[in-house]
Amino acid sequence: MVAPTELTEAPNHLALQMRGISKTFGPTTVLRKVDFDLRAGEIHALMGENGAGKSTLMKIAAGLIDQYDGEIYVGGKHHRMVSPRDATRAGIAMIQQELSLVPELAVDENIFLGQEKVRSLFIVDREQQVRAAREVLRPLDFHGRIDQPIAKLRVGEQQLVEIAKALVAKARILIMDEPTSALSINETERLFQVIRTLAKEGVAIVYISHRMEEVVALADTVTVLRDGQLIGRMSQEKANRREIIRMMVGRELQDVFASGKSETSTRKQVLEVQNLRLENPAPTVARSMLVQNVSFSVGAGEVFGLAGLLGAGRTETLEVLFGLHPGTSGGEVRVEGRKIRLLTPVDAKAAGIALVTEDRKRDGLVLGAGIDRNAELAVLRTIATFGLVSPNEELELADRTIRNLGIQASGPRQLAGTLSGGNQQKLVIGKWLLTKPRVLLLDEPTRGIDVGAKAEIYRLIGTLAEQGLAIVLVSSELPELTLLSDRILVLCEGRPTALLSRDQFSHETILEYASPGGSVQPAFSEMEVAR
Amino acid sequence: MKRVLTSTRNFLLQTKLFWGLAVLYLVGVFSSPINRKGINIFLSPGNQSDVLRQVSNNGIIAVGMTLVILTGGIDLSVGSMMALGSVVCAMLLTQQGWTNASFLAIPVLALVTFFLSAYLVPLIAINAVRGSARPMEKANPSVRWCGIIFGAILAILSVWWTVGQLGTKFGVLGVLVAVPAVGLVFGALNGLFITKGKMQPFIVTLAMMVAILGIARLLGGSNMAVHPVYTGTNATENFDILRALVFQIIPVPGIFFIFAVLVFGFVLKVSTFGRYIYAIGGNEQAARLAGIRVDQLKIAVYAISGMLACTAGVLYTAQYRQGKPDAGAGAELDAIAAVVIGGTNLMGGRGSMIGTLVGVLIFGFLGNILQLRNIDSNTQLVLKGGIILAAVLLQEGQLGVRWKQIRSYFKVIDSGQEAGAKSRQVEEASK
Repeated sequence: MVAPTELTEAPNHLALQMRGISKTFGPTTVLRKVDFDLRAGEIHALMGENGAGKSTLMKIAAGLIDQYDGEIYVGGKHHRMVSPRDATRAGIAMIQQELSLVPELAVDENIFLGQEKVRSLFIVDREQQVRAAREVLRPLDFHGRIDQPIAKLRVGEQQLVEIAKALVAKARILIMDEPTSALSINETERLFQVIRTLAKEGVAIVYISHRMEEVVALADTVTVLRDGQLIGRMSQEKANRREIIRMMVGRELQDVFASGKSETSTRKQVLEVQNLRLENPAPTVARSMLVQNVSFSVGAGEVFGLAGLLGAGRTETLEVLFGLHPGTSGGEVRVEGRKIRLLTPVDAKAAGIALVTEDRKRDGLVLGAGIDRNAELAVLRTIATFGLVSPNEELELADRTIRNLGIQASGPRQLAGTLSGGNQQKLVIGKWLLTKPRVLLLDEPTRGIDVGAKAEIYRLIGTLAEQGLAIVLVSSELPELTLLSDRILVLCEGRPTALLSRDQFSHETILEYASPGGSVQPAFSEMEVAR
Repeated sequence: MKRVLTSTRNFLLQTKLFWGLAVLYLVGVFSSPINRKGINIFLSPGNQSDVLRQVSNNGIIAVGMTLVILTGGIDLSVGSMMALGSVVCAMLLTQQGWTNASFLAIPVLALVTFFLSAYLVPLIAINAVRGSARPMEKANPSVRWCGIIFGAILAILSVWWTVGQLGTKFGVLGVLVAVPAVGLVFGALNGLFITKGKMQPFIVTLAMMVAILGIARLLGGSNMAVHPVYTGTNATENFDILRALVFQIIPVPGIFFIFAVLVFGFVLKVSTFGRYIYAIGGNEQAARLAGIRVDQLKIAVYAISGMLACTAGVLYTAQYRQGKPDAGAGAELDAIAAVVIGGTNLMGGRGSMIGTLVGVLIFGFLGNILQLRNIDSNTQLVLKGGIILAAVLLQEGQLGVRWKQIRSYFKVIDSGQEAGAKSRQVEEASK
């Protein structure tokens, strides 16, 4: 444990003060007596691994979580944040990772949602709104059309609209949660400019990110959280990469990411994908296809990475492979040389494909049921005779899953919802391993789990690959992707742009290929022309 | 010591439903009028038997409703389904030859026989042949053809058997097979619209509730058609069995109810079907992604609900000696209330058949107690509504958490005022 380093300045002009904030979700403690200070006009980076509690802390400040312990002062006044309205009234706005805009409404309608400019009693004055919106958006370097629906804008532009919305609400404190995760390099640069301008005008900005380069370039102050606790705070001069990483991870990076990858060139091909495509169910001008021209093959024991920005079509690719988009998808998929039809997850399961989804709580687990009931779900038929489940085999399956994957639980009947994130993830993977799959699709397998559990998942992925599974890995964390993968296919807006082998891995290369308008490897651009 | 306390507390909390029933029962015993012979009327065998008779129709429907609600759905069409069952049953019993009812029932029965056999025969064959070994996920084509042929033979047999009864009117067994089959088909239709049409269960079953009521009235030929079953000579004599008392104390409808509770309680507890129902209600997406045929299962659940509702219709016809299109008015709400009192979560995934049994009994005993006290029927409605709210508050309301929230709310107001006062003081001081 590192003691919180003292801030040298006197705490005047404190825009936001959070004192002793604690939060538990069921049995897991997410925040433990965290203090957080924010001065007016500063850019304050909040850093930490996934699951460190940064988003939770800021959601409390923004009134999105109504039950917490601790005190919040805005401009010196005590506030109890119970709803987003409280936060708006206190001048706090949060821009979440998933933008909260109404896609069908126009830019100005979104900006003035809930505080429309009206002509008489209730008739909306669009002209005035458009004018006012233009006024707000001008300094933000916004290029889109204001009377256009949000859905037609690019993600970067949508983000500017969110900022404008916050400004119209007279926010003095702007919280941004991973704002660059879907942005190209140029858009990121522009966003930084906007943030600096706002800070100069006295807006306090909390910038949540785990991208080191951005933080070092942008922030005045850096606060690091780990496992729900405040680890340290430092001003920009003192902040350096190495120190921040040490604080975030709690030990030197090499310990966690230690791995030896062996190159094997002649592998038996397990999964072959040809010309995978997926139509956009709500086609926009920019995108009629969510995925197109995606072809790759994965050998036995290979970990094949899919890289890309948010919305690049990585998750959708996995979903198509698992038969979740019948009718709108196409392409040829072979498992161990046999062509398979993918209309339902039942088909995929029968073909030996398993999918571990990115949101284990939403898609992966029945949270209100025990470990045993979750583990057996995909293979229940095999332990039943005449439709009746054998209780002994049920228990045996649960015990085996707990043992093999090292799930920490009080027993096979513990509810899945009360497990920690890491153990939940192990349970989801364990559930699928019981089906004896040939192909394992992993979507963000370490999202929201602590560092220790992360290392265990990495080890598990390594072991499974050694046992001959073909693994397709999607991850937004480039260090994770480059560490685990044997090859990486980079996607950009649904199209493949590069296939990289291990010696070509670098964060800069991947980002370059992943950015819209960035480079494309010749092999892939030729394919485009041929079409 | 503390451990004993907490385990006692947990035990009491887990069984609070039964304690509620026990308390209500005691209230019944002590509030009951006593007749001239000094017998407690509430406790008299006749009264207990009557309660069971009164609850059994609602109970049978509630069993199906439990399955539906456990998947996270709702079935509003059961009342109309019961009315349809009642009308079809009465018509089959009293009218010879091809009537609207037999025209509906016979093809439907053949259809149900065919599909059930075509589905079940391969399943049983695989399980039987492989013995204790594991069944395959899919039947191979030859086994499937066996099922289809077997189903076709059975369907033809069913047509032959039912058409044979047309000349002499249907017997008890005839209506007990044909009428539930009608409910099964309409219930499956509910499920088809919900799963394949991707519509809300509430809307679909609401529409079906209206439509089926119309069908029930149309079948009879007039709006308020009542088909007397026992008047005159045109009745099927042995139909009286369905309202008889076994051992002079247990009403036959009660046996149907208990049987349904046992069968479907067992299915929920130990079968794959039951596991899947809980999984779908707990997290439908997770179930779908685990390769479970969610649509098929949901259709089956609604079909079962419809089948049970029509069975209740048959019992209604036997009980009141008439088939009525308004037989099941409000039955869906009573069933939902019983299921919810029994602790089954309307969002799905949590609940049990034993809870529904207790819920049905609580509802039934409450009505009985109020009746014995001669309480005005409108007052009864108010009290029933109150009981539903109270029961659900106990089950779901998380009273402890709510209490904490209310307290913290007042704390905030206090501290907010304090903070306000302090900041005013500071402001004044700085001036």
